[in-house]
Amino acid sequence: MNFKAKALAAATAVALMSTGAMAQDIAVIAGSVEDAFMDKIKKGVDDATTMVTANGGTVQYLRTQNYENFGPDLVTLINQAVAQGVKGIAIPVWVPDAQIPALQAARDAGIVIMQYNSGLPVMKDVGAINYFGSDEYAAGFGGGKYLAEQGAKHILCHIQVPGAINLTERCKGVTDGAAEAGAKVTVLETPPNLDGDVTGTAEAFKAAFIGDSSIDAMVSCADFGAAAGANAVEQTGSKIMVSAFDFSPASLDRIKAGTQKMAIDQQPYLQGFLATSMLFAHLKYGTNISTNPVLTGPAIIDASNVDAVVAGAALGAR
Amino acid sequence: MPKSTDRHTHAFSVGHLARRPEAGSLVGLVLVYAFFAIMGGAVFIGAPGWSSWLNIAAEVGIVALPVGLLMIAGELDISVGSVIPASQMTAAIVSGYFGLPILLGIAAGLGVGLMVGYVNGLLVTRTSIPSLIITIGTMFGVMGFTLGFAVLIAGSTSVFLVPDPVTKLILGTFIGGMFNVSIFWWIAFAAVIFFVLHYAPIGNWIFALGGDRDSARNAGIPTAALTIRLYMLSGFAAAFVGILQLMTYQNAQVATGQSFIFNSIMCVVIGGVILTGGSGSVIGIVIGTATFAIVNQGIFFSGLDPNVGSVIIGALLLAAVLSNDGFRALALKYSTKKG
Repeated sequence: MNFKAKALAAATAVALMSTGAMAQDIAVIAGSVEDAFMDKIKKGVDDATTMVTANGGTVQYLRTQNYENFGPDLVTLINQAVAQGVKGIAIPVWVPDAQIPALQAARDAGIVIMQYNSGLPVMKDVGAINYFGSDEYAAGFGGGKYLAEQGAKHILCHIQVPGAINLTERCKGVTDGAAEAGAKVTVLETPPNLDGDVTGTAEAFKAAFIGDSSIDAMVSCADFGAAAGANAVEQTGSKIMVSAFDFSPASLDRIKAGTQKMAIDQQPYLQGFLATSMLFAHLKYGTNISTNPVLTGPAIIDASNVDAVVAGAALGAR
Repeated sequence: MPKSTDRHTHAFSVGHLARRPEAGSLVGLVLVYAFFAIMGGAVFIGAPGWSSWLNIAAEVGIVALPVGLLMIAGELDISVGSVIPASQMTAAIVSGYFGLPILLGIAAGLGVGLMVGYVNGLLVTRTSIPSLIITIGTMFGVMGFTLGFAVLIAGSTSVFLVPDPVTKLILGTFIGGMFNVSIFWWIAFAAVIFFVLHYAPIGNWIFALGGDRDSARNAGIPTAALTIRLYMLSGFAAAFVGILQLMTYQNAQVATGQSFIFNSIMCVVIGGVILTGGSGSVIGIVIGTATFAIVNQGIFFSGLDPNVGSVIIGALLLAAVLSNDGFRALALKYSTKKG
């Protein structure tokens, strides 16, 4: 290789590197490929990616394989993103102890962190510029208030994994939200061996409904809890309002049919879409949202808006 | 099991009673029912209580029966936990998503169970890997396929199916508004498996398999074919429960079924099946399932903290294993005297 060629190669390399430095390359890190909830987040990331690439940036979308070795897997993905020279990382904080040191190191290297979906309480430690997600307590508060305003006087709040902090927060929110509108809340924790077992949970609800006839509404922290609740209502022939956090196509059908009152949605599409697009806009245009954190939930899905949600679900965004 | 007449005669018959593998579990069932009848009151003794625990017992019981046969034969089956969602998802995709005839969907769902069972049996008989590990492997494999295909084909992890009235009546209705039709299917499964284990020649083969596999093979028992059939039965039963749930709740989800793994094993052990294989009975498994279900549901009628239910189930499990040993020692003592 002669001098000219060498110089040309060097110049090309410098030019490539400088365009690399100019471009707003970002990484979006997400949860397991097996998690259906994450598919809705991905739809939001995909839509935002269209905008990013149209403006000269790139988006690397990184997901863990599963949740078996979650903390270390997330750290690996963070380090991978840093090694690839991205300018920003959008990431939920699920395992603060593992993730925070890695994210602080990334920030020290000049990378901007955007948080979404999870880890609102540790936002300061992470040093993220903003947060797009739900607040478990606020979601519960909204749900409890809604049920009380619909006429509920005594709400059963179902926790499917006893002791889970986020679920306890949800029911605490339900209790306070209901109290504001004059209703009381009883928490029902079903044992872990009933988690995911619709029949077992339905029978537990049935016992609770028969045991206390003043119960006139229920909200489950699990989507399957709504199926169980609807079944228990059918068995006992009562008029108890059934509702749950999160939803599936079957929940939407129940809401349409009137056997489920509502579902509390945290709108994962918005979390993926906003975290990606707003991180890019911050890097490229220096924008900042003055609302901080930005809550994407609770959004209540009931008979009044279920048709729009069904249409969104068919497109993979709800 | 004419136990009441036995009790009136002398020690020889007591030994006969104690030798029955379900003797200890029967005592447990009576104690547990009495406890919750007192705690739960009239509602628990009445139709709501009976329907409550029978509905639970039926589903876990249909899975526990063949799992119990496998345990008597000295094997485990963890994969039932993912066969349940796999079969209901298959049926829901075939008949709900593609709108093909419901019988085709049910056949496909049950076929998935038989196929997983066949693979389990083949791996267990062809390799020297313990069945625990093999069926954990197939459980994860089936789980992955179910999730992958559900998202790939239906674009969702939850698929809807509205069964026609006849199918709903046979497989997913509540009699008197409370008693799930699955209870009758449980009785049917128990009757057939009771006959197979205790009256058909194949029953003795199953006991022999759990007692000593090599001797059984040397005695001319087709151990490999028998093991494969037992796994296919367990896959079929789990798939059947998946279909029952689909017809009851009209919705297939990829994340159901995991609770059946431990629950079915607990029912079998509480029912007096010895973990090392070679001993157990269908009546015992049915009693164990009823006991498990009564504790599980009784707790919600009793006003006790539901976490207490888990403690009672744990204690029952230990008591069952201990009393199995105690009753076996007793039985051996009396049979020695007899001999």
